[in-house]
Amino acid sequence: MSTSASARTNLREEVRRALTAPSAPADRSNSTTSDLSIDEELNLHSIGWEPVELVSGVSLHSIPYGYWNWGQGEIVAASSAHATALAHAKARLVREAAAAGGHGVVGVHIERAIHPTHVEVSLVGTAVRPADLNVRRQRDVFASDLSARDFTMLMVAGWEPLGLATGASFVFAPRRSMSTALQQQSQNVELTNFTEAMYSAREAAMQRMQDMALEMHGTGVVAVTVQEGPMSFASHAVGFVALGTVVRLATPTHQLIHPTMVVSLNDATVAFDAQTLG
Amino acid sequence: MSEEPSDLPEAAHRRLNEGSFSSGLSVSDFAACLDMGLEPVGLVQGFCAMRWGAVSMSGMGGGVGGGLGGGLGAALGGALTPFAGAPGGYVQNYQCPHGMVSAEHRAWGQNYQQIWIEDAWRTGFNSAYSRMMHEAQALGAHGVVGVLDSENPLSDTGVVEFHLRGTAVRLVDASAPSESPWSTFLAGQRLAKVFEAGYAPVSIVTAVASVRVWAYCVTEYLMEGTGGVWSTSPAAAEIVQIVDAQSTVREAVRARVRSSLHGDSLHGAHLEVSTREFAKGDLELQSRLSGNRVRRFKDFDPVALPRATVRLS
Repeated sequence: MSTSASARTNLREEVRRALTAPSAPADRSNSTTSDLSIDEELNLHSIGWEPVELVSGVSLHSIPYGYWNWGQGEIVAASSAHATALAHAKARLVREAAAAGGHGVVGVHIERAIHPTHVEVSLVGTAVRPADLNVRRQRDVFASDLSARDFTMLMVAGWEPLGLATGASFVFAPRRSMSTALQQQSQNVELTNFTEAMYSAREAAMQRMQDMALEMHGTGVVAVTVQEGPMSFASHAVGFVALGTVVRLATPTHQLIHPTMVVSLNDATVAFDAQTLG
Repeated sequence: MSEEPSDLPEAAHRRLNEGSFSSGLSVSDFAACLDMGLEPVGLVQGFCAMRWGAVSMSGMGGGVGGGLGGGLGAALGGALTPFAGAPGGYVQNYQCPHGMVSAEHRAWGQNYQQIWIEDAWRTGFNSAYSRMMHEAQALGAHGVVGVLDSENPLSDTGVVEFHLRGTAVRLVDASAPSESPWSTFLAGQRLAKVFEAGYAPVSIVTAVASVRVWAYCVTEYLMEGTGGVWSTSPAAAEIVQIVDAQSTVREAVRARVRSSLHGDSLHGAHLEVSTREFAKGDLELQSRLSGNRVRRFKDFDPVALPRATVRLS
């Protein structure tokens, strides 16, 4: 009880001190912007890092008309447009981060839209750097879709992120012959043309992501997300996109983390959420 | 955020002086605020209804062209000169590489920043914000927490209503505020963490940037996937004009927010970008960036490494 009362007193004192602090910062050129929550900033601070700047990268790449409807095998124009758009957006993102003095970008939000004649990619994240400004950047600026919390945990475990790796493949599912289509019309059967197309897209996309990880000298890709399925605007095309953060060991060995078991007493509902006026 | 002379209605003055408080805080946020020594004094709100036109030619000051919209612009695309750009705004021209002029061929294209839209938006938002803050000031509040904002069209009249609301709070056992109240989108535990981390809230920050795109022939062909029909154009390539516009609309809004920080930091930023197509090849890109401006009042206390937990429930 006394601990709680003392904590409350301290918090009240902190609030009072904060609200009676001098009205202007000493250094007016030292603004930082970030989309991190205060929890995430504290996480970064615990490993000696800090946010610097909100950064973004965008790209749109065209796909020649007519590639989605007829053909065989991979729709190379679409796969290549997707890869180029992501690469350009990523390059712009890390260029902005480097210009702001960042060593990397964490919590990258990735928005992708695939249209019949173009691919759009937008990346937004927060550039981060070691709080000790004497620490020089040892390698290229990295971009990672890991949250600041996951980034912290990764670093604590002795690993480091190297960059975003992606692989995408769009494949044409061959049309069945007229006789096969008629035969299968009244049967519950697997449409092997679609299954094989999906396998083909999956294998190509995963291979590309892995190749990209190896190019960055990474030992693996974490937090991989995949999106797969038919393309809404092309009845015989399927797509597979894999995306994750390339990592490698930064210390001689992996640092074991022993989690503490907790029994949460929290309500299932979110507490302290200022949405009551919405 | 600028603040104008108070135009708080007389009825609101009377209501606010009646002695009981209202608040938009949840019970848990309310409890957390009391723990911090902040007591709610009233639910404060600000409104502003703004006439909203997508294009204001009188504000453009230069030639015509980009803002004319699809049909007429397309028909006269080869004949009109590009818009000179609003003073201080971004403008970029794109010239057709094919060397032909016809009624259908888009011989030039242009991206330009719609400063007049940004100004109109800022006027509407800042008026609503100022009115909310005047209510807080009238209550003797030190700050406003849990701010929420919305902008909604009022029927189909081209009018947009800006509405801001939040809970005015007073520091317990403190003298009356001598400065304008501070404001923050945060409330409850999240706000407590901001204080504990060594930051004091200063104000909410929101800005909008708008860029209009009048596509030239290369952009049009690449968007349609027909770039390869011209021997001088690649079949597939990056759509540079749109990329320029998308990059600019993001950079412009960040620059605007950065210029309002004056050495403070922006926390919990949220960047949204929307695209509106008025006609074929005539687009408006709008970005909006919001966040909490905070000021460091003490150095970070040392923070222990986070401890991983496994929840058993």
